[in-house]
Amino acid sequence: MMKGRSLLRWAGLLIAVALVSVWGHEARSSKAAGDSAAGYADIITIDIVGEMGSTELPPVTYRHDLHTEAMKKLNKDCSACHKTQDDKMSLKFMRTEDGSVAEMKELYHSNCFACHAEQAAAGNNTGPQDGQCRSCHNPRPAANSEWKDVGMDKSLHYRHIAAKTIKVDGQDVNCAACHHVYDETAQKAVWKKNTEDSCRACHKNAPTPVVEGGEAMKPALNDAAHLACVTCHVSTATAGGDTGPVTCAGCHTDEAQKQYKVVAEVPRLERGQPDATLVTADNLKKATLPAVAFNHKLHEAALDNCRTCHHEGIATCTTCHTLAGKAEGNFVQLEQAMHSLKSQASCVGCHDTKKQDPSCAGCHSMMPASSASQQSCASCHNTTGFKPEELEGMSNDVKRAVADAIVAERPTAMPTFRDEDIPETVKIDALVDKYEASNMPHRKIVKTMIAAVADSRMAAGFHTDAATFCQGCHHNSPLSKTPPKCQSCHGKPFEPSKGDRPGLKAAYHQQCMGCHTAMKLEKPQATACADCHAERTN
Amino acid sequence: MHRRKFLSLLGGAGLASAMGVTKSQAASGHSFNGYPDAMGVLHDSTRCIGCRKCEEACYQVNDLPKPEKEFKDLTVLDTKRRTDAKTYTVVNKYNTAGLEHPIFRKQQCNHCMEPACASACFVKAFTKNSDGSVTYNGDLCVGCRYCMIACPFSVPTFEYDDAFDPLIQKCTMCHPRIQEGKLPGCVEICPKEALTFGRREDLLGIARDRIRKYPDRYVKHIYGEHEAGGTNWLYLSGVPHTELGQIEVGKTSAPELTSGALGAVPMVVGIWPVLLTGAYAISKRKEKIAQEEKAEAVRATRESAQEEAEAALKAAMDKATKDKAAAVEREVKKAVAEAEKAFEEKLAAAQAPAGEADTGAGESPEEEA
Ligand code: SF4
Ligand code: SF4
Repeated sequence: MMKGRSLLRWAGLLIAVALVSVWGHEARSSKAAGDSAAGYADIITIDIVGEMGSTELPPVTYRHDLHTEAMKKLNKDCSACHKTQDDKMSLKFMRTEDGSVAEMKELYHSNCFACHAEQAAAGNNTGPQDGQCRSCHNPRPAANSEWKDVGMDKSLHYRHIAAKTIKVDGQDVNCAACHHVYDETAQKAVWKKNTEDSCRACHKNAPTPVVEGGEAMKPALNDAAHLACVTCHVSTATAGGDTGPVTCAGCHTDEAQKQYKVVAEVPRLERGQPDATLVTADNLKKATLPAVAFNHKLHEAALDNCRTCHHEGIATCTTCHTLAGKAEGNFVQLEQAMHSLKSQASCVGCHDTKKQDPSCAGCHSMMPASSASQQSCASCHNTTGFKPEELEGMSNDVKRAVADAIVAERPTAMPTFRDEDIPETVKIDALVDKYEASNMPHRKIVKTMIAAVADSRMAAGFHTDAATFCQGCHHNSPLSKTPPKCQSCHGKPFEPSKGDRPGLKAAYHQQCMGCHTAMKLEKPQATACADCHAERTN
Repeated sequence: MHRRKFLSLLGGAGLASAMGVTKSQAASGHSFNGYPDAMGVLHDSTRCIGCRKCEEACYQVNDLPKPEKEFKDLTVLDTKRRTDAKTYTVVNKYNTAGLEHPIFRKQQCNHCMEPACASACFVKAFTKNSDGSVTYNGDLCVGCRYCMIACPFSVPTFEYDDAFDPLIQKCTMCHPRIQEGKLPGCVEICPKEALTFGRREDLLGIARDRIRKYPDRYVKHIYGEHEAGGTNWLYLSGVPHTELGQIEVGKTSAPELTSGALGAVPMVVGIWPVLLTGAYAISKRKEKIAQEEKAEAVRATRESAQEEAEAALKAAMDKATKDKAAAVEREVKKAVAEAEKAFEEKLAAAQAPAGEADTGAGESPEEEA
């Protein structure tokens, strides 16, 4: 019984294989088919009918680059396929608006076939003709997409700010070329200074109404971005100006993105943001910890874009994240928004990933997760000396001034002990048996590690005491210039009363090797015993 | 060759049983439930550096033959090895995708809480000791090698080289040393405490603690906690255990599965066929244990998935036939239209010089088409 069924399935498969090979042959015979299994960024999947209803045939995999090249040869430009409305080139094929399913099908078929037939008649190498359905409607196209997301990072953004070819009439800055908000009275999109936001703040994954309940729609992010970027690049290029890419591959490939000119020192953005501000809870009577002074300027310089913290749209944290949580903030409470280890937008979450940097990971990868201490709370919630009622009545300007003062007090360099207070070498000889004692260059190690984070304001801000840094190795001990020796706690291994505390030998090895691995130090290798302690000869 | 040896061993076994070894048989469907204070070892592959010190200690403690290459020679790690009669433990190196450094895992007998080897052994040469170790008594062994087939981790190995008194060999968890209050040789020497020795219960607690404290360092699975009914050797890892060559063996212990086949086997020569079938059943089962448990869990999903796939195939076939038919139809229509056009042209041409129409009819386009 089973046999019969599986036989049938096999027969089905064989027929399928046979049919596919017939179509495969048809596809191969088409001159326009791409190199086998090559990857291209300029691949567009045309499935407009499929988006509206069910399709008879698979979506079309379309190579845009082949067509732009062909047009160039024929001395034609984008307008051969793209219509223009209100001086803006539509990115849709031969239309500015979508029609019904039947209309769309007819539009594509008639225009594609007409051009292909014309070119074939002229003896040119061209695409599939009427009847060669599977050459375009190919479920297994020979080319696959290597399309890669592209983002507007700080450097790219600055190049647009500084670009001479982007000029806005009557303005001395370029902002209005891209940034706009809807003006109810003027009933159109206009630029308003200091309201600039990420595109995502308004343009979502699908079109949304411009005004609630209205008919006019804001295009989806994808369309809005292409409409703004590509049309501007095309028109600037046509006018002979220096501009950005106009092809898919110009933005959406790895190689192209690697070749982007990177501006190392990007001047600070101007959007009316504070240098520092006090992050205060919405209900100050219920806030139990002192408000945190946030160094906005420092974080701007350290991050690539506003979105890292501000999500889609720029607003103060407490607009959406309150002590109790509210819908606008997905009910993520203020405490969570600032401390969640899982989120990259939260302070603690982002700081925690920074610890993965090799210069930090040596110590921090050895520390258990969520080992927050009172001391670490105080690193940010250091007392402002203001009572809730005083904070409540505080204007934004005063808050900023207070924050500025607190931030200015913060250390810019990590406090450390004087050289003579750091033992130069430490002789590890408690376990001498098969190996000689190891002379650990203690001071050299300490100073190298300190030098690796010398430029880090984050390290400066969080290693508040000269002894904090020592705790990377001298863990679980109170802050002290003379922390306990390893032997004070580590002795014989596997003593049930000591839980998982390693014995002395393993404690050394785990500490040294664990740190070396985390810091990506190649030498000494973990298995090169004699590099640290010479093998005994007698 | 093997068969002959086996048959000669059979003779020996018969003799042994005739001489009253029957007393030592135990198989009675009883399964071991693990001793409460049993010890175990936890191997943490995030700590292991692949130094092979444990292999060396094992060699010294057990007086094993010297290997070809020195223990210091770490190039040995470049090839995957397994344990054999002369090597009770090996460390293997695994390069896993996405990690810059290799991972090492020590392997040896896992000292199952309910050992398949012991349950398969009808002379009870294997003992599950109260300290957690599974040991073997060569004096009792008849060399049938059922234990080799039964072990889900392919541990027991046979001294094929020894022509006279070949025995099964495997790690003993240093049972004699534990009895003396010492640590197993490998554990004692490990410079990183990649091996932790303690009560199995405590080790589970320690392992869970490490996962909780360092969630990014470990996968949330303690291999050996439940595998094959639970083993006294436990493993922690930063990557899925299967990537370190640790097979999925399912949770059911072998004795539970094989008690039907091997339980209550009286030690008489006359039951050989039963035993042979039993061994066969074990070997088949061993392959199936994991599969069966997994299969059970996914059966429902798979069935519906299969139905869906069949429906999809059918739909695709129907559609394909339809599409193909449509395409053929179009091609045919086109050809017909072309033929008609050609015919019309020819007809027109034929009609132009009137009178020759009759001869032209011979080249009727219908025939061409
Ligand atoms: S791992 Fe194999 S040899 Fe070791 S106790 Fe389990 S079944 Fe027996
Ligand atoms: S001795 Fe320890 S660290 Fe070395 S290979 Fe064996 S288990 Fe790994």
